[in-house]
Amino acid sequence: MASQQQRSKALEDTTIVDTDVHLSVSPEEVAKYIDEPYKSHMTNTGYSPLPSSGWDRNLRGKIEHYTVESPEDVDEVLCNDFSIDCPILNPTSVLPRLPQTDLAAELMSGYNDLMIDQYLDEYDHFRGLAAVATQDPEKAAEELDRLGNEDQIVGVYIASTGPNPPLGDSEYDVMYQAAEDNDLDIAYHGSGGAFMFEFPRQNQSFEKFIEVHTMAHTWSQMMTLSSLIINGTPVKFPDLNFSFLEAGIGWIPMMMFRLNKEYSIRRSEAPLLEKSPEEYIREFYFASQPIGEANHSKHMDQLIDMVGADSLMFATDYPHWDFDHPEALDKHLSHRYDVEDRNKVLHGNAAEAFGISL
Amino acid sequence: MSKHRVASVDEIEPGERIIVEIEGKEIGIFNIEGEYRAYLNWCAHQAGPTCEGNVTGTTQGEYNKNDGKVELDYCKQGEILNCPWHGWEYDLTSGECLSRQDVILPQYKVEENEGDIILSVA
Repeated sequence: MASQQQRSKALEDTTIVDTDVHLSVSPEEVAKYIDEPYKSHMTNTGYSPLPSSGWDRNLRGKIEHYTVESPEDVDEVLCNDFSIDCPILNPTSVLPRLPQTDLAAELMSGYNDLMIDQYLDEYDHFRGLAAVATQDPEKAAEELDRLGNEDQIVGVYIASTGPNPPLGDSEYDVMYQAAEDNDLDIAYHGSGGAFMFEFPRQNQSFEKFIEVHTMAHTWSQMMTLSSLIINGTPVKFPDLNFSFLEAGIGWIPMMMFRLNKEYSIRRSEAPLLEKSPEEYIREFYFASQPIGEANHSKHMDQLIDMVGADSLMFATDYPHWDFDHPEALDKHLSHRYDVEDRNKVLHGNAAEAFGISL
Repeated sequence: MSKHRVASVDEIEPGERIIVEIEGKEIGIFNIEGEYRAYLNWCAHQAGPTCEGNVTGTTQGEYNKNDGKVELDYCKQGEILNCPWHGWEYDLTSGECLSRQDVILPQYKVEENEGDIILSVA
């Protein structure tokens, strides 16, 4: 097996796309990009203007609190230290947890404009996903039409913890149609912070964040995936690619095979489908982070094989506390995959999923 | 084996650390209540800079089967090194990882000699 140093060199020599990079935007900063009365909502409430779950991410200081507050932060840490060639940024996960639809719609364009102005315009190798306020699918569609000509905006970031109804509902078809019309592919991303709104039992019943966070992203993504498949969203929008970020990969085989079984019996409840759920899911893309840590590494290898070299992508999730270094995935790839498959996972699939020229 | 003077004793007070680079290796040297320990600045998890992390205590729990209660103990204050990337906990006195029985930080011999701190690197 290759040494640590050899593997680091191998990462430096490989093109890597990071499909999940978060910006750390303060309320005051995004306020510069929105109009009144919403500007004052962000700067003059006297309380925190955005809902927070209140959980302690950083374990009372045991884990360092990293942030991305400038394009230099992205370039220095991810591109330099982590050997990322193309970071795909997303500006916010907060929109679905806002009860005020008009505020969410205003912040949608504010966060997107901030990302373009402060990050994408500064570095040519950065790409971005446009945030959408799913509370107002019509406005979300208008936002995607507005951003359709931005070369570095390559997709839509849909925060998938919180939207109600679930994201395969026909209510969102107008948003998906705009995404398809503008060649903006879809990425879903769950959230531990919004989880209390979607599955309130968790915050009522769990005492420790480890319990909440272990389940949050996967539960939301399972609900989203089920809703998309059963409502036939990939049938309605065949030109859209669908990606799932930050839920790891262990849940994917389980969902493929459960949905297959259910569909065999209850096909009439999913009448738009033209093939098995598994076949649709195998056309989706899945980011590896947070990569599972099996006691026996071969079990993780087996999961990776089940998801497959045509579907798996890399993501760091930087700067969040459970981010992955590229090595965390590559240690499962470098000794087993040929160059072609390793390249697919580290950059090729992401390039396809979001239509990026590398 | 090569020996290196890395500091004088008054440059690493109890509770403090320094990180030096020797023969291409980053090594953290810690003073724990007058005892010195030296570890590679490299986390077994994802190669994070462990030696730059916060030094804290940790919480241990014990279940008393007789009264059915769990007793929590915040202990080892000043003896737990937390990797800044993901919080993996290591016992500073031994280098052992608290969550993984088979993981231990690579370590080096470090000793005091006539007011100097001497590190031995293989």
